[in-house]
Amino acid sequence: MTTNNGNEKRQGFYLNMGPQHPSTHGVLRVLLEMDGEYVLEAEPVLGYGHRIQEKMGESRPWKGFMPNTSRLDYVGALICTHGYIGLIERMTGIEAPLRAEYIRVITSELNRISSHLLWLGAFLLDLGAFTPIMYTFDDREQILDILEDVTGSRLTYCYFRVGGVNRDIDATFIAKTRAFIERLRSRFRIYHDLVTTNIIFIKRVQDIVHLTPDMAMRYGITGPLLRSTGVGYDIRKSEPYSVYADFDFEVPVGTSGDCLEVYLVRLEEMEQSLRIIEQALDRLPDGPHLAKTPKKLPLPQGDASFSVEAARGEFTYYLVSDGSEVPYRLKIRSPCFSNLSILPELCRDMLLSDLVMVLGTLDLVIPEIDR
Amino acid sequence: MDVTERLIDDLRNLPAVVERADYRLQGYHLEVRLQSAQVRDFAKLLRERNFYLAFVSAVHVAAAIEILYQLACFTQPCRILAKAAVSDQGSVPSIADIFDGANWHERETHEMFGVVFSGHPYLEPLLLPEESADLRPLLKAEDAILPADRIRRQAAGQTEDSTLPAKSEGGTSGSDPEKIE
Repeated sequence: MTTNNGNEKRQGFYLNMGPQHPSTHGVLRVLLEMDGEYVLEAEPVLGYGHRIQEKMGESRPWKGFMPNTSRLDYVGALICTHGYIGLIERMTGIEAPLRAEYIRVITSELNRISSHLLWLGAFLLDLGAFTPIMYTFDDREQILDILEDVTGSRLTYCYFRVGGVNRDIDATFIAKTRAFIERLRSRFRIYHDLVTTNIIFIKRVQDIVHLTPDMAMRYGITGPLLRSTGVGYDIRKSEPYSVYADFDFEVPVGTSGDCLEVYLVRLEEMEQSLRIIEQALDRLPDGPHLAKTPKKLPLPQGDASFSVEAARGEFTYYLVSDGSEVPYRLKIRSPCFSNLSILPELCRDMLLSDLVMVLGTLDLVIPEIDR
Repeated sequence: MDVTERLIDDLRNLPAVVERADYRLQGYHLEVRLQSAQVRDFAKLLRERNFYLAFVSAVHVAAAIEILYQLACFTQPCRILAKAAVSDQGSVPSIADIFDGANWHERETHEMFGVVFSGHPYLEPLLLPEESADLRPLLKAEDAILPADRIRRQAAGQTEDSTLPAKSEGGTSGSDPEKIE
């Protein structure tokens, strides 16, 4: 195939990456126009995992959609559910007891860490480093065990309820979580020794692409990718929901926006999540974990929006109600959708092996893109 | 908050209808109503003011489909929800050249609702397979389309059902106190 772009004649061939490709982390297809080893154009092809979630949300009472919310971003399901529950509580005016809000924060942050750990292992695996994923999965397994005890599931949690959480946490949960905090802190040193200071890793990821705050504004990029450019934007700080305003934590930022800094930001975010969990455990209030709510709960007429800081960026639910229990319109804004849309601009004229690295940095979860 | 005040003034000069929303109840700070002809000026203004586009979507109401734009800002808590009714020709100007991220959002809105974004560089299906490109799955069935005023928030005290006497927080709760427990 010959293309003629303006005055520069570029001769390329087409290469199909995915939808079943290990480094696309799910059913993403990227159509590549190549010139030898170089990518001329990269066009993501979406929809292989499309389940029309928004229509499902509009065709049953809002309660029936709760399990779906954990199947969008299945790697950080609790945070994703938090947004939906928060939206319903905002519309109906129901408030969760303080203890429930603390439990939500603790479990959400554990989920954020498990999501970052999965990313860390898989990202390094993309780069050809097999060992780290063994370590990160070992750590992640601890979180899955802790969350399984209280939520009953290991991945697609349906644990939050309007007015609280499904089940109270007990002394065992607290002891296990504290032990995990200790453990993960000691593991960070291993990760830094194994990866951060590894010259092969640095050469592979540093200075390949540079995200800028302007790019982020044009494409709506949020989350660690945005923060690597030096913008300290975090919904937990800018539009604090639940009880995040009560905790002392920092928003780690980078400067140059390259993939190494995205890596460093994510690693530091895990430490900040640990700090939030520690404070929440120290100050965990007594009381009920679930408020009494009416069995039938129609949503008042009108619209409302609720945004949370998911592991990958801004996750927003926007709901329009006609006054019944069934939402009239439910829009789901997922961070990866916007984060991926920059790929064609970011990866133009790049080596194919670098494109694999950049795709890994984006930390894509395809079901939340396709919905 | 003079930055927001200035923004409100500039939006009103577009001219657009701007209202402050109660963030605690609605989750956004400003509600903007636009004519479809003003959409591009609106987008340009917010691009200048360093806003980012959270999403573009639509809601199917009578008489015309409403396009939704949600934007927020990295440096100040200001979330904007803008609504623009599509023109009689069923189209609305594309803002994909102002906010690059709008490209995919508009493609999605096009395949889900059939709205044409005029000036869009590549208005092809994004999520749906080619064979169902004409499904428009998020359009309501004919008997289920509601007029726009049936989905508007009602001012406090205006709700029809026997609401709670305005609680200290969230007075718009539509729940019946009898049913609790």
